[in-house]
Amino acid sequence: MLTLLFKSFIRSKVAVIGLAVVLFTGIISIYIGRQHIDKQIKSIEKTAHFQQEHIQRNVQYFNKEMGLLLYHLRFSLVNETHPLNGMSIGQRDINSSIQSINIRNLENQKYDTDLFNPFNLLTGNLDFSFVLIYLFPLLIISFSYNLLSEEKEGGTWPLVSTQGDSPLKLLLRKLLIRAIAVFATLAMLLFLGAVILSIPMDSSFMATIAIAVLYLLCWFAICLWVISLQKRSSTNAVILLSSWMMLTVILPGAVNNYILNKYPVPEAMATAIAQREGYHEKWDMDKQPTMDKFYAHYPQFRKYALPEGQFNWPWYYAMQQMGDDESQVQANAMQDKLWQRERTSAFIARFIPTLHTQHMLNAIARAGLSNQLSFLDSTTRFHEKMRLHFYPKIFEGSDVSGEDWQQFKMENFSQTYNISWLSVLMPLILVSVLFVILSTVNFRRSLRYDRI
Amino acid sequence: MRRDVLLLLARQVVSNTFRNKAIVMLLGIVAILLVYATYSCAGIYLQETQSRQSYQKEVREHWEEMPDKHPHRMAHYGYIVFRPKSPLSIFDPGMESYVGNAVFLEAHRQNSVNFSEAGFSTGMLRFGEISMAMILQILVPLVIFFIGFNTVAADRENGTLKILLGQGVSWKEILTGKIIGLFGIALSLLLLVIVLLLAAGLSIPQQQLTADDLWLICWIMLFYAVYFGIISIVAVLISAYSRTAKLALVSSISIWLLWAIILPRTMQAVGGFLYASPSRIEFETAIEKELIQKGDSHNPDDPYYKALKDSVLRIYNATSVEQLPFNYSGFQMKEGERISAVIYNQHLFALLERYQQQNDVSRLSAFINPLMALRNLSMSISGTGFNAYTRFQQQAEGYRYQLAQHMNDLQIKLISNKKPGDNDKPYSISREHWKSLPDFSYKADSPVRMITSETLSLFALLCWMLLLIITVSILSKKLKAI
Repeated sequence: MLTLLFKSFIRSKVAVIGLAVVLFTGIISIYIGRQHIDKQIKSIEKTAHFQQEHIQRNVQYFNKEMGLLLYHLRFSLVNETHPLNGMSIGQRDINSSIQSINIRNLENQKYDTDLFNPFNLLTGNLDFSFVLIYLFPLLIISFSYNLLSEEKEGGTWPLVSTQGDSPLKLLLRKLLIRAIAVFATLAMLLFLGAVILSIPMDSSFMATIAIAVLYLLCWFAICLWVISLQKRSSTNAVILLSSWMMLTVILPGAVNNYILNKYPVPEAMATAIAQREGYHEKWDMDKQPTMDKFYAHYPQFRKYALPEGQFNWPWYYAMQQMGDDESQVQANAMQDKLWQRERTSAFIARFIPTLHTQHMLNAIARAGLSNQLSFLDSTTRFHEKMRLHFYPKIFEGSDVSGEDWQQFKMENFSQTYNISWLSVLMPLILVSVLFVILSTVNFRRSLRYDRI
Repeated sequence: MRRDVLLLLARQVVSNTFRNKAIVMLLGIVAILLVYATYSCAGIYLQETQSRQSYQKEVREHWEEMPDKHPHRMAHYGYIVFRPKSPLSIFDPGMESYVGNAVFLEAHRQNSVNFSEAGFSTGMLRFGEISMAMILQILVPLVIFFIGFNTVAADRENGTLKILLGQGVSWKEILTGKIIGLFGIALSLLLLVIVLLLAAGLSIPQQQLTADDLWLICWIMLFYAVYFGIISIVAVLISAYSRTAKLALVSSISIWLLWAIILPRTMQAVGGFLYASPSRIEFETAIEKELIQKGDSHNPDDPYYKALKDSVLRIYNATSVEQLPFNYSGFQMKEGERISAVIYNQHLFALLERYQQQNDVSRLSAFINPLMALRNLSMSISGTGFNAYTRFQQQAEGYRYQLAQHMNDLQIKLISNKKPGDNDKPYSISREHWKSLPDFSYKADSPVRMITSETLSLFALLCWMLLLIITVSILSKKLKAI
């Protein structure tokens, strides 16, 4: 019976074309992910190489004063790209994965963006997450919207339903055949993705697989529910496509507008202004108060007194430090706002499967806002480490040649992401279960009145 | 064609539409969304514009209030400029959310335009924003297709088509009448948009819509009307051509998916694949390399700057720079700024050119996707397209250059050539000079240029219209009643 159903399914043109289109787009999306990852890797290699060259050249030019040399030297920190990022590019195309910073005022350097074509961002990436979230549901819809109605409209249903044991079972079997085809396509794409992007078989990948499977199950459940309403084929198609539109375009868009309105980030501009004032106004002020503030921040440097003369490096770096210190309020407020956005998004996403899936795929691929914020935190720590290493040497006027410059290699940051399986999978499971229950109720009712 | 017959057929489409509860609900949702989009986009515009204007004012005040100081200090103090939002971004935000909003301008260094909304986004933004333009471009066509698939195909299925033709109504009249009906429904939504847009414009007191803006709105609405015409014709043609209503629906939906969802991404991906753009590190190292080749102002023994110094000394018959009648280090910085700006701009233009090539793939796809034509036109006229983005970037860089050179000129003219001793007060000039640098003000493109920069899209839209009208007249001779 199953093989017969399968044969009749695979013989339909819609099925073959649909599967082929999704498979083909899926493979392209994986290659686009590969291109993205390759570009990242190339950038990182270039940065590592450039850092060496850059340090070497500057050490040669500015070999007299440590303070002047450190004015120029830049050190790089890389936000490691997880191979899964090729499946879900997320925010990694707009937020730079590389920070190259000097030990001066950090707030002035931290938020520099990557180079990008805004049109690319506007249209969005054709990555695997797009294929999964947008195209797979369409495939499922096209396979199942007329599962029952077609037979009824064609007049074959009375014949079919009297042959098997239960009409519902037959319907589920037909759905199962389609599910097998859809999940086989998904499996093939995941396998190709794992090979092409060399994704390790770790818990992150398992979570990605689980999310993908559950997300598609959600859609099967939604389709089953629409079938259970027992309307005409064209009405089913309109309902399903409207739901798809609602979940992939309207609700996410509305939520996005809501979040932009609710949590605007003027603090970003306030930070930019505050850090600039904090540093520059010190040039026109007495030196000692600036130094006092600096000592208050770093008591361990109190032993380096302010030297005589119009200009000296301790004072210069103390001024730079004030740029950061005096914009902390605004910078922290901005961070808080962004975390608020992240939390609110995650919360709302739980109720909207498309948003939840995208959010989770991004989070697992270390490509979401939380990753970017952690990377910024790590940049701050990295910057502080470099500062604390070089401040004493600048203040003591150490010899440039006395430093082992070879040791300053590019450093890496990798976000540890602990998957809490419950919060990752539960929302999708709940939606699926909800629609299955609703369908069962509908089917029971129609069975009772013998309308199926 | 008889007018009364056409009107009768059109009216029938409209009344059938309003008898279908599901469609009425969809139209209701679209109307509610339009109101929400206006409200939310106008809110964002107002909020952002107010905060940017006030920060811009603050930056200017700080600049003018700076005490006496060395002009080069001032050049490093620099300026922050904020990208003003285009008023029509209320209608079509286009790329607004994806481009940076503030840039720090200082001597020697071209900083990136930072703080884009997309950079602050949780990734949700990538699903798209709700705006009037998005609703009109994507949702309304879908609704038209939902209504349109039934127009002729249903008549065919229930036999009314045969009766109609038998009563002497021509195929051309049937098709045209149904198209007019669909188009009318779409136009009524457009009318709502015009009302909402004017209401939003009036409710923003400090930013009254100018006469230019009103003209631009008229043009935009005209193009959207053409687009709706195209969609209505396509919907009726599919319905007339398909054997059953179900087939018509499936074909319409497939075409919509192709136009609205699949092609835009795919075409941009093709563009990105064909014309790979450099990463930031590649871009920056290429500039640095070229700069060092030309002359490294940091290197005390650099041959280029040594030759420059020698030639200046020769002209003034001097043996050291201290004998020169002007400040030499200011002069050298001015030359350095000029060289680095030229090199940077060359690379920037090449980069933007590259992006433009990527975008041209999308632009050309307008000939297979009318939505693309409309989208580009709509963004360009709303001042939220790629051109507006590069325009701001270039004007900001122009202002940066002006600022740096203004300060270098002040240094050349007013700062002594002698190096101050270790305990002398550093040289400075009066703060009166700061005001002589005018404030940054972004100049938007002229309305005519906004439209003509998308001539190709305009042409594509007209081609579609023409082609479809021809198809209607050809098909009306070939179509069959069953």
